[in-house]
Amino acid sequence: MSRLPFDDEPTKVPKVPKVPEVTRVTKPATPATVVTPVTVVTPVTPVTRPVLTVSELNATIRDLLENQLHTVWIEGELSGCRIWNTGHMYFNLKDSSSQVKGVMFRSAIRYLKFKPEDGLKVVARGKISVYDPKGEYQIICEHMEPKGLGSLQQAFEQLKKKLAAEGLFDPARKRPLPALPRRIGLVTSIDGAALRDMIRVLRRRYPNAHLVISATRVQGEGAGREVAHAIRKVARIEAVDVIIVARGGGSLEDLWAFNEEVLARAIADSPVPVISGVGHETDFTIADFVADLRAPTPSAAAELVVRRKDEFFAHIDRITERLDAAIHHRLRRMETRLHSLEARPGYAGYEGRLAVRGRHVSELASALRQRMTAGVARRGRRHEILRRSLDQFDPRHRLAAVRTRLVSRNAQLEAALRRRLTVAQNRLGGLAARIDGLSPLAVLGRGYSVTWDASRTRIIRDAATLTTGDRISVILEHGAIDATVDAVRQVAEKANTEP
Amino acid sequence: MDPTIKDFEAAIAELETIVKKLEEGDLALEKSLELYERGVQLSRFCHSRLEAAERRIEIVNERGELKPAPASLNLPDDEDE
Repeated sequence: MSRLPFDDEPTKVPKVPKVPEVTRVTKPATPATVVTPVTVVTPVTPVTRPVLTVSELNATIRDLLENQLHTVWIEGELSGCRIWNTGHMYFNLKDSSSQVKGVMFRSAIRYLKFKPEDGLKVVARGKISVYDPKGEYQIICEHMEPKGLGSLQQAFEQLKKKLAAEGLFDPARKRPLPALPRRIGLVTSIDGAALRDMIRVLRRRYPNAHLVISATRVQGEGAGREVAHAIRKVARIEAVDVIIVARGGGSLEDLWAFNEEVLARAIADSPVPVISGVGHETDFTIADFVADLRAPTPSAAAELVVRRKDEFFAHIDRITERLDAAIHHRLRRMETRLHSLEARPGYAGYEGRLAVRGRHVSELASALRQRMTAGVARRGRRHEILRRSLDQFDPRHRLAAVRTRLVSRNAQLEAALRRRLTVAQNRLGGLAARIDGLSPLAVLGRGYSVTWDASRTRIIRDAATLTTGDRISVILEHGAIDATVDAVRQVAEKANTEP
Repeated sequence: MDPTIKDFEAAIAELETIVKKLEEGDLALEKSLELYERGVQLSRFCHSRLEAAERRIEIVNERGELKPAPASLNLPDDEDE
């Protein structure tokens, strides 16, 4: 048996060089020691020994890695970061003792919310891929975020929980916005696009709005405190009825000021409602949660703060129209009641006897007419004064178009008032004519009554003309009462009592 | 302006109340006319308040005083009103 290994040697020798060559790829340091004992113990193996080509090996390794490490998260520092003309980015990820190559394709880079730079600590998600021609492997990175994000996110969640527990986000805390703010406070950066956007929107919707800017830095170290300070400053300005806190879009880091507790407290403590208008794609900031109203962008905040001027006008015009309709309807009802009273047969014969009361009603009617005439004249004068003061008020004539509209509106209003007056006067005129005979009956509608003697030939004006036991007849708006006098009191009171 | 009117919101609210009262009816004629006059006064107040607000842009400085904003912020109007 001792010869056997020796016999084998001649056949083994030519193959020796080949074995180390195959194994060198994986474990270059150990091939001889591993292979030799095998050949000695099992002389049959040379025939079945798995020999791979380099390509086969690399393909096998690729299968293994790509299947086993399909998705991995790697944390490390970026180095050698370069974007090629193709738009793909090549880089190394390293830690203190090791590094790995990586690539990020253009399609994935588009979604990055930060700029990858050498030295930046990142967390990357990707899969391992083997580059067969060189026997190298690398990470194909699908997603990457700065490592700091995790802690920011955590701080955000902690603060959110804390303030929510204090009730700062409660819907009950949200204050309604003033319908027509006298002054609008704008808290933002003086040279940012946000400010310009807001001014533009406000000028369009409500050209004569009075804006008060409280300028502040909105990003960087200490920005939260500065924004808070700017809010308190503008809130103290007289007649500032609402505040917008705004900033254009940016990354989570850029917007960090709006996630700081000091700013959240300033918004919560503001004596007037605060609208947040922080432009950002996805999540809310803490400021959004605390604000009385949240808008997705500065422009949107400006649109929420005041209605369009013409909407205001339309609203008031609608109410005023109802006001007109209501008084018109009231006058119509009065007329109708008179007609129905007139039609009652029971009263038809007594018209002439009611002359005294008739005069009283005529007096009321003419007082009414005077009152309305005076009212219209007064309003006319008020218009004139208003118009003149508006002229003085606007020396630059920048509101020329608006003024023209106001003047014509005033004219329309005056005309409308005159028309209404004429209609009312005509109606009253017609009423007055009938009133000679009938008007006291209208008085009945207001709760008065007329007392006759039993034969209905004499109106009782003085209790002294009656004695106990006399029969009387009392005419009410609806129906009449026949009654007997129980007692006579001589107090000189008018016969009627107010309803 | 009119001392009996607190502000724009109060005016609108009162005007709406008046209209409701008048629409419900059941008021003596005198009272109706009184309310109507008040309504006209309120409506006029609202109109003038809408026109009267000052078209101005100011900046608060560190001492809390109001200063005119730089002219560069007086942007031209969009013309779609």
